[in-house]
Amino acid sequence: MIEVQALTKRYGAVTAIDNLSFTAQPGQVTGFLGPNGAGKTTTMRILTGFMPPTSGAAIVAGYDVFTQSMEVRRRIGYLPENVPLYRDMTAVGYLMYLAEIRGLADRRKKAEAALDRVGLLYRAQSRIRSLSKGMRQRVGLAAALLHDPEVLILDEPTIGLDPFQVLELRDLIRELGQDHTVLFSTHILSEAEQVCNNVVIINQGHIVAQGNPADLRVELERGGRIFVRVNANPEEVRPIIANAAGVASVDIEGDHLIATPSSANIDPRPAIARVLVEANYELVELRPLAVRLEEIFLEVTQRQIQHPEEEPIAEVVG
Amino acid sequence: MRAVWAVYKRELALYFRSPIAYGVALALFLFLGLLFTSNVSAGNGQAPATFLNIAPELLSFLTFLVAPLLTMRLLSEEAREGTLEVLMTLPMRELQFVLGKFLAVWSYYTLLLVVMLIYPILLSTVGILDIGQLVGSYLGAWLYGGAMLAVCLIWSALFEDQIVAAFLGAASVLVLFLAESAAIWASNQGILSGAADFIREFSLSAHYQSTLAQGVLRAEDILYFVLMIIAAIFITVRIVEIRRWRA
Repeated sequence: MIEVQALTKRYGAVTAIDNLSFTAQPGQVTGFLGPNGAGKTTTMRILTGFMPPTSGAAIVAGYDVFTQSMEVRRRIGYLPENVPLYRDMTAVGYLMYLAEIRGLADRRKKAEAALDRVGLLYRAQSRIRSLSKGMRQRVGLAAALLHDPEVLILDEPTIGLDPFQVLELRDLIRELGQDHTVLFSTHILSEAEQVCNNVVIINQGHIVAQGNPADLRVELERGGRIFVRVNANPEEVRPIIANAAGVASVDIEGDHLIATPSSANIDPRPAIARVLVEANYELVELRPLAVRLEEIFLEVTQRQIQHPEEEPIAEVVG
Repeated sequence: MRAVWAVYKRELALYFRSPIAYGVALALFLFLGLLFTSNVSAGNGQAPATFLNIAPELLSFLTFLVAPLLTMRLLSEEAREGTLEVLMTLPMRELQFVLGKFLAVWSYYTLLLVVMLIYPILLSTVGILDIGQLVGSYLGAWLYGGAMLAVCLIWSALFEDQIVAAFLGAASVLVLFLAESAAIWASNQGILSGAADFIREFSLSAHYQSTLAQGVLRAEDILYFVLMIIAAIFITVRIVEIRRWRA
């Protein structure tokens, strides 16, 4: 379990993260989303005890990261962003070195088990310098899994992997999420959507949205606009749709129309369908304007840029 | 202790695969070997025992080269490669980490010094050794080296660039070494006579070349080196902490 309470980190005049609060539950994968430079790495470095916050607190696995750093470190596995490794060591040698610092027993067995878990046991004796980027990434992941920690913090673990490895790694993260607390950062939204039970979207150091991906989508779809495609000239059907109950305005976008409901609680689709069919038009497509995490992300991060003072627009307790 | 031991083993093993460490050893022993041969042949049986303190004295003088070369990558490389982030998120304190590193490089230095015992052993076959001078000069050179390695470690913690760390390390050792000359100059000029004594007490040569290396074992000289090691390690630990906080 990770509990972040009003965490703030400033570097001189620059505020990297500002008043961040969120929770990552055990048995769940929490995605930490944001554009580059949003403050993801800073937050993770604070959670792992690498750097102290300017203010606020974070509890990881039941211990305060600042005052009980050693207890926290014993219970977390951390994969830093650019996967620093000792290139002169063999994969298994590196893991055994970390195991020794951690004071683990059966070091070779644990190192080999971790390599096996990431599918790299066959390269155990290779020097890290001779491994490919994807393999190094997996050595880093094995290092995070070495001591079977309660909490896993993975900073952009899928960067630099080929598509097949990305799929494998996502499966592995999902699997680990079942009995660990996993917090992983990414700026690839479809990834978060596939893997996470819960996402926290941050931008410029602020949380702009959090909740489970499905809830976030519902939140934005409600009050969201309607996509309408009719087998006719959009100009022609526009006044008809505008007359439907609950429709505030209609815009034409290329060969289709976008209807905006008059109120967030109204779903104008049945009304739109009815008026079109009554007017003898062939309704081809009628759906909420697709809101994928990508769009939520773009929308919330752009709003944030336009109105930096604005409160988080979607707060869903998942 | 466990973490110190783990770091220590890895670092010490690295010296045996490091071209710089072999380069330092090669240059040192080549130089000492030539010096020894010429010294012994020049003495021609008269008093070869004068060489007794030359080897450790020379090593301690050369620490302005040896210490920066051996320590420059120790901490700077960890920061540069980012491995500091891995290590400092393991259950290991900065002190354990720095101590492991320092003990490793001091051990390598100790090994150089132990190999240099070959000279007194050879000399003992042709004459009678001054045991006091032997103990004083080797013990002194050992502490002297430890102190200089610790001082150079500070620069390695401070800079990611090894070359910068090495240069500043060399400069610091030379300043500490030349402090006695500065003190002598100051007192000759008749200025700052109180300060001159003060500066002299800070100098390396006042605590080694003129005492320990002559076989004069004084507690204050040993304390000088030991305190310098402790102070330098303390400063290094603080720098590693600050580096990580500002990373």
